[in-house]
Amino acid sequence: MISRVADHCFWFGRYLERTENMARILAVTQNLALDAEIPTQQCWLPVIIVAGQKAHFGAEHGEEAAADGELVQRYMSFDEDNPTSLRSSISAARWNARSIREVVSLEVWETVNELHLWVNSEEAREEFRSSRYAFYRRVRQLTQLCLGLTQSTMLNDTPLDFIWLGVLLERVGQTARTLDVHHHALTNLPPPPPSEMSAQAQGALRRQHRVVETALWLSLLRACSGFEPFMKLNQGQVSEQAVAQFLLYEPRFPRSIRHCVHAAFARLCEIRPPDSVALPGGESLERLQLLHQWVADRATEAFDPMAVHAALTHVVDETAMICDGIGRELLGYGPPDSNPTVTSQ
Amino acid sequence: MAHGPRGPSSGSFTPVLLENPGAGLFAGYTPLPGAYDELFGRDGAPRPEFLRTATLLGALAPNEFARAQHLAELALLNQGVTFSVYADQRGAEKIFPLCLIPRMLSAADWAHMERGLEQRVRALGLFLDDVYGDQRILKEERVPRDLVLGSGQYLKQVHGLRPPGGVRIHIAGVDIIRDPAGTFRVLEDNLRTPSGVSYVLENRLISKRVLPHLLDKARVQRVDHYPARLAETLRSVSPASPSGTSAVVLTPGPYNSAYFEHSFLARTMGLELVQAPDLFVDQDQVFVRTTRGPRRVHVIYRRIDEAFLDPEAFRPDSLLGVRGLMRAYAAGNVALANAPGNGVADDKAVYPFVPEMIRYYLGEEPVLEQVPTYLCMRDDDRRYVLDHLDQLVVKAVDEAGGYGMLMGPQSTAAQRDEFRARIQATPRRYIAQHRIELSTSPTWDPTAKTAVPRRLDLRPYVLTGRDGSWVLPGGLTRVALVAGSYVVNSSQGGGSKDTWVLKGPGENAQRTPSVGAPGAGPAAVNNDPPGAAPGSDPPEAP
Repeated sequence: MISRVADHCFWFGRYLERTENMARILAVTQNLALDAEIPTQQCWLPVIIVAGQKAHFGAEHGEEAAADGELVQRYMSFDEDNPTSLRSSISAARWNARSIREVVSLEVWETVNELHLWVNSEEAREEFRSSRYAFYRRVRQLTQLCLGLTQSTMLNDTPLDFIWLGVLLERVGQTARTLDVHHHALTNLPPPPPSEMSAQAQGALRRQHRVVETALWLSLLRACSGFEPFMKLNQGQVSEQAVAQFLLYEPRFPRSIRHCVHAAFARLCEIRPPDSVALPGGESLERLQLLHQWVADRATEAFDPMAVHAALTHVVDETAMICDGIGRELLGYGPPDSNPTVTSQ
Repeated sequence: MAHGPRGPSSGSFTPVLLENPGAGLFAGYTPLPGAYDELFGRDGAPRPEFLRTATLLGALAPNEFARAQHLAELALLNQGVTFSVYADQRGAEKIFPLCLIPRMLSAADWAHMERGLEQRVRALGLFLDDVYGDQRILKEERVPRDLVLGSGQYLKQVHGLRPPGGVRIHIAGVDIIRDPAGTFRVLEDNLRTPSGVSYVLENRLISKRVLPHLLDKARVQRVDHYPARLAETLRSVSPASPSGTSAVVLTPGPYNSAYFEHSFLARTMGLELVQAPDLFVDQDQVFVRTTRGPRRVHVIYRRIDEAFLDPEAFRPDSLLGVRGLMRAYAAGNVALANAPGNGVADDKAVYPFVPEMIRYYLGEEPVLEQVPTYLCMRDDDRRYVLDHLDQLVVKAVDEAGGYGMLMGPQSTAAQRDEFRARIQATPRRYIAQHRIELSTSPTWDPTAKTAVPRRLDLRPYVLTGRDGSWVLPGGLTRVALVAGSYVVNSSQGGGSKDTWVLKGPGENAQRTPSVGAPGAGPAAVNNDPPGAAPGSDPPEAP
């Protein structure tokens, strides 16, 4: 398959996943801000951090503006200068699909095109104003429809492998960053009650603390579409350790880091079989395999809550390196004028 | 035919027969005085060959038609059937407006047109062979030597080269108008990278979706096998065996105004769409960069100008293109469609000599008429043109898309002065023609909610492979949507219509069955709505 086309497939998948993920996080956070008795900035700033827009948002509006949930939602939904806004991501997904219009199926193309037309329409603005929930839901549904259509209307062939490689690697990064930001926020909760307080007051604060903490963990699970699967596996026992372990290592959960790394490795094996040493892509495959092994090894060890941040950082960094390598080896990111050596006809 | 509903972008449309037909689509329709109307005769009645279809169309209530028209436009938008607007910095895409009222051509008219087009493209191909070979026609002074070799489109780099497969004009788009007497006249030949055929196919899909009952009864020749025919044409000129051939479509990229068409053709042919940086040449062979390393390419349907094909051969300053491509072409290792250098035959200043070419190479009389043309490089012609600028249409020979034109009868004195100066400075660059009153066809006016006469032209497409030519039944009808306008170009506010070539009596199947080569056949066209029978002829009416 043509390297440039593979590149568009890869990014088409990444942008779709990014869109769907952000729409879910926004909806969940809106819900959280209504329920949890925590400062609004503590709700909304993580959204901006997960999107990697802390600096840009700060420069545009000042970091304190993250206390304004409406502003954050507008910024993350429609802002054209924010490359991670829903509108920007949808536009990028659509642009990639249009660039490979002959590769994606008509149904996939129509769906992403309609999503793009809709999100830029007055109708979408009106829905954003009148029913926020419906707005995010529509974005998610059309994005998921699009991803589903790739699997039910396209050949099980290299283009589809590249689309899903993009989806899965994006998902690894999203889950890792979302978990990391929440983990960070929770370790920064107000310190435990001072000992000179009355036992009664201590108990009340601790209970309140636990309520807030549980609400945040639940919102994290919802942000990763993991609420129901988590509850099924843990029978309603919500703890920091259980949630982190679930999102990192649960092999049966489709958004866990372990599952996504494993699935991405399988896709890359389809694209570049491990025994095809003459084909490009060997380094990326090896690196992804190492990450896969690394995650699998940790999954079986005793869980160390203190090591969560370091583990997530490793995952995010390695994923970025793997994406770079795939770009160089398979997607033609090399210097523009270099002709590869002719190996076959 | 059951066309299932398909979201907001479709929905078939059942004609409502009115109790009072006078209130229907054509109520109050008055053909333009002095023009030939494609649908209605001088007596105001539909032409006999179109009576049945016109009656069915005319029975539609304007409100229902307005709804159908809206559905059609929405479908085009949702599918991204668009062209890009260069003037718009943000790369806006617009739909090429479609008028759902079809333009109809009778079986007899079409048979005449097909014969004329095939003859014309054959002669033009022989002319190109000659110009890039022995130059007999120039030596015998049947066509002025300076005119041809002085054309900006003459490529001396390809002189003496025989293209792989022996074909130069694989795809021709010939612009045709109809004068007030009803005579078809060739206005222009497009032998380089003629565009627009994707709209022909998309317009038909929309007609099938929105007006299935009408199309069913009208007995219209199908068009959806064009991509399969084109793929077959490309394979036929391959330097490799047809089954071992790798053919690609070469596009300048998504910013190009015709990008939709490039991807449409690649998709419907099942070929890869490549950009120049995807290709490279090694030892005079062309390769495409893939995720599994380089792969040989044998045929390139190129939709980029030849000036940008190969920086080594044409534009050293350009970073676009594929270095060494022309060497590979010269070595016979890759076929290019269309062949570089064809522009010398569709030069507007060479156009007046095409009837002479037909007589010279074929020993036949031209089947199709042309438009009488003044060549400003000739002294007598130039004098006449300069004296009659207010009556003539002046065109620059090297511009297309309706640019660089003077519409004399509608021009201001200042515009005429400007053109007078331009003609005197570079007479070779200009030709002039008397304005021909273009034919009209009933066209939907969304404001007045009724059908009004609007001027139109036709661009049929001729495919030529190793074994001869084939003409797509119909072609692109472009229509001037603005009252009084003569300009039909998409870049100048024109729109399009579906072109219905009616089958002749007893003409039940296609005369030429589509072939069963791999990737060919109706299955290659996969964008029919579910429920439609892709590629099948509409059932015959009794």
